[in-house]
Amino acid sequence: MSLLLQIIVNGILLGGLYSLMALGLALVWGVLNIVNLAHGAFIMLGAYASYYLFTLLNVDPFAALPLCMLVVFACGFVLQRYVLNLIVRAPMFNTLLITFGIDVVLTYLAQIVFSADFRVVNPSYAGANFTLLGTTIPLVRALAFAMAIALTLTVWLVLGHTRLGRAVRACAQNLVAARLYGVEPRTVYALTFAMGAALAGAAGDLYGVVSQINPYIGDPLTAKSFAISIIGGLENPLGVVVGGLFLGILESLTSLYIGSTYTDVASFGVLVLVLITRPRGLLGKTT
Amino acid sequence: MMRAVGSIAFAALLLTLLLVPWLAPPALIQFGTTTLLLATLAQSWNIIGGYAGYASFGNSVFYGIGGYGTAIAMVQFGLPFGIGILLGALLAVFFALLLGLPVLRLRGHYFAIATLALAEAMTGVVSNLDIAGRNIGLVLPLRKGDAFFYELSLGLLAVATLTVFWISRSRFGFGLIAIREDEDAAGVMGINTTLYKALAFLLAGFFSALAGGIHAYWITFIDPVSAFDITLNVMMIIMAIFGGAGTIFGPLVGAVLLSSISEILATEITGMASLFFGLVIVVAVVFMPRGLTDLMQRMPGLGWRYFRENLRLHRL
Amino acid sequence: MKRLLCYAIAMFALFNHARAEPIITLGASVQETGRLANTGRYYRDGYDLAVRTINERGGVKVGTERYQLALKILDNQSDVNLSVRQYTQLLTQDKVNFLLGPFASDFALADSSASEKYEVPMIEGGGASDQIFSRGYKYIFGTLPVASKYFESTVQAMSKLEPIPKTVALLYADDAFDVAVAKGTRELLQNTGFRITQDERYSSNASDFSTLISQIKAAVPDAVLVAGHETEVLNFIRQAKSLDFSPKLYSFTVGVPTADFRLALGRDGNFAFGMTSWLPSASQKDDYFTNAQMFAEEYKKRFGYEPDYHAASAVADVETFVKAIESAASLDPKKVRDAIARIDFESLYGRVQFSEVGQINLPQTVVQVYSDTVIPIYGPKGFINKPRYPMPPWDKRP
Repeated sequence: MSLLLQIIVNGILLGGLYSLMALGLALVWGVLNIVNLAHGAFIMLGAYASYYLFTLLNVDPFAALPLCMLVVFACGFVLQRYVLNLIVRAPMFNTLLITFGIDVVLTYLAQIVFSADFRVVNPSYAGANFTLLGTTIPLVRALAFAMAIALTLTVWLVLGHTRLGRAVRACAQNLVAARLYGVEPRTVYALTFAMGAALAGAAGDLYGVVSQINPYIGDPLTAKSFAISIIGGLENPLGVVVGGLFLGILESLTSLYIGSTYTDVASFGVLVLVLITRPRGLLGKTT
Repeated sequence: MMRAVGSIAFAALLLTLLLVPWLAPPALIQFGTTTLLLATLAQSWNIIGGYAGYASFGNSVFYGIGGYGTAIAMVQFGLPFGIGILLGALLAVFFALLLGLPVLRLRGHYFAIATLALAEAMTGVVSNLDIAGRNIGLVLPLRKGDAFFYELSLGLLAVATLTVFWISRSRFGFGLIAIREDEDAAGVMGINTTLYKALAFLLAGFFSALAGGIHAYWITFIDPVSAFDITLNVMMIIMAIFGGAGTIFGPLVGAVLLSSISEILATEITGMASLFFGLVIVVAVVFMPRGLTDLMQRMPGLGWRYFRENLRLHRL
Repeated sequence: MKRLLCYAIAMFALFNHARAEPIITLGASVQETGRLANTGRYYRDGYDLAVRTINERGGVKVGTERYQLALKILDNQSDVNLSVRQYTQLLTQDKVNFLLGPFASDFALADSSASEKYEVPMIEGGGASDQIFSRGYKYIFGTLPVASKYFESTVQAMSKLEPIPKTVALLYADDAFDVAVAKGTRELLQNTGFRITQDERYSSNASDFSTLISQIKAAVPDAVLVAGHETEVLNFIRQAKSLDFSPKLYSFTVGVPTADFRLALGRDGNFAFGMTSWLPSASQKDDYFTNAQMFAEEYKKRFGYEPDYHAASAVADVETFVKAIESAASLDPKKVRDAIARIDFESLYGRVQFSEVGQINLPQTVVQVYSDTVIPIYGPKGFINKPRYPMPPWDKRP
């Protein structure tokens, strides 16, 4: 019984990490209708940022969060403002292709600049854990979980209750009207996309502490973030948390009862099922 | 008179292509085979993505199924290649119907995502099947003689292109185009959209599977990661789009051009191929989203304004 | 103008002829970029240093003529399909004389079909899986020890520990190499009388081991053996710490002897057992590099990082070709192939000699990491140093 409890706790914590990763993708997708296949590359960039801050300047990964987010924010802003803005009104499919291309380029550049050597961020508390109800809980994962909730709430607040948020939603709903109201869509889009990138950067920051960093970690994370965004639903910012938790627990239980090589089958199988039966996700309204 | 000259030129080109294994050095035959297979894939995507407008990331699923069907038949059951590849194609058609019908109900990017998810799920499923060699894959029996594979690929491409030619002139094809332009209106006009879409998906899957089977036997190796490779899928889409989706020869042109440039880069500056590939995608999608054929048709009249027009239409 | 052209052509021909040196080209498709580049570079650099050094020492003697070695390396970007095409290209377009192998068993498995198809010998130092050598192919030879025997010395050492570990958990990735390791290790453990509590296969490139670790922890085995890749080993150890799992002993097929491992884990890497088929000792003599220690120093000086058994294996491959060509006194692929099959010589890597199926037979030395050093523990002649066993729980580590 306590094994099952531990597995479920593992799943929840994994879900927290997953939600953190998927948040940026879901934001940009849900609000701007941009499906960013280079999302994982942003996570990777955030991870490298935190690695260099940690190894060269001894900055603790949690303290480095704002810096990592800023770095990736800047990359995302430039990318959207000068490249992605060029195809915003094209068929959605073009976005998929172009972000795929950007992903390839970013990965290649990362390999040139950072080399393929894997890196880890190993602060002294990386392996710390505490016991609760007979289960062992890794400290860093618990913190990541808390961060995921905190950032999701922040996003929800910003979108719903700030001027910027209103401008973003206005653009998403009606571009022409938004322009008439004095909103400059190009900047708003770039800011929103940059926010999504920054969130990815935050996830990347922690990723180096729980796993290891190399230029190729992006693609599987993008795929997972997809699954989470769809399963949770794009209409509600909390959807990411629900999706992440669902996937984390599903994968852990699959690993326990069926076998750890079946986790991908489970995640993507469920994704296909959700798309077919309930495309707006667990939190979305059924049409 | 012009048509006669055109036909003769065309026939001469075909004859040259046919005779390549006896005229060209081995490396060129190899390159040719790879390009022919890629062109077939681009052409098969053209049917579902170009004509029907359903941008599918799922062709790699059928490519992989075709390859695995062939491999399993030959390695686990000792069957000859001809039977193997047929089994692979049948398996692909079966799955195209099984998976296609539910997935084709989705529109726009949800359809694309669903097919992407299918590819990932397939990779996971196959890597757990003992009969498929799990994650290690299968090593196929060796067959010497590249001419065989070259001619087979050429034949397959010819059949695929002829199919697209037939589609472009048939009611079926017009139905697909109608679905692409406005699916609801097409339905109202009496087109059985479900049937047409399923048929397009099936045809695309069929040709992809055959290409996968040939490739597996040629390379003598198949494993889950390479069989259901998403990058391959994107490559075939880019080739089709770059050349001109929804045209008969667009995918061929795109495949040949991009393949050649990529090959030259790969041998001269190893490793640059993926950078080039990524940049081509970005540039093509931004400046010439309707492909080379559209560019060649409209650029003589518009000049550089052609690119500006594309930007103006799509930029924010 | 015409006269100038003729003159230029004549000069060009003369110049080229005067500079013409008989060359033997070795071709390889290596993972220079992509997810396996981290290990692939050992092969690229190992091949390079070997060719350079052999050329400096006079090159290859074929009969009465002296040849220089040349290397043609292509980057397969860690893509197996590309690797197969590149080997075919090396043979048919670049017309290399002989082939050197890639890293990783799944690559060697697929690429050896090319060498077999064109009947040109390939010596690979990166694939240990028995599967590569069980197909009756005549043109593939491997210098990595047999995968199924990787844990042999570890299991032997385990059986001599006190208190003897009774239960073992076996964990392995689902690629060609690790599946082969697990197959052999399973039998070894059973034959030596250990009880296997867990026998778990996991997806290659898995980054999350929480569930597996929790499962293993609940079963409380004495020892854990993991067959996987370097990044997985790292993830395993770090996550084991964060889940507070500490068996009496854990041993890993790869990663432990490398400097990267110690750098990444710091003190958390202490007590981990691993294995290596090669140590840079001065007593391992070599015809071209004097001994293994000097090779290691030169390698580090030239490339900026320490070599490990991958690099040594790569060097052994090149040396084997040289010795075989000299022994056959010919460049004919079939004759050289037969010479390779008969070869027997000492190199900085160890004794090079191939079994009937083409695989080398080298014992693994069990090593343990402690305090940023790799300590040899157990070799073919028994214990070398005392192992630090059992491993203390995480909160009680010094």
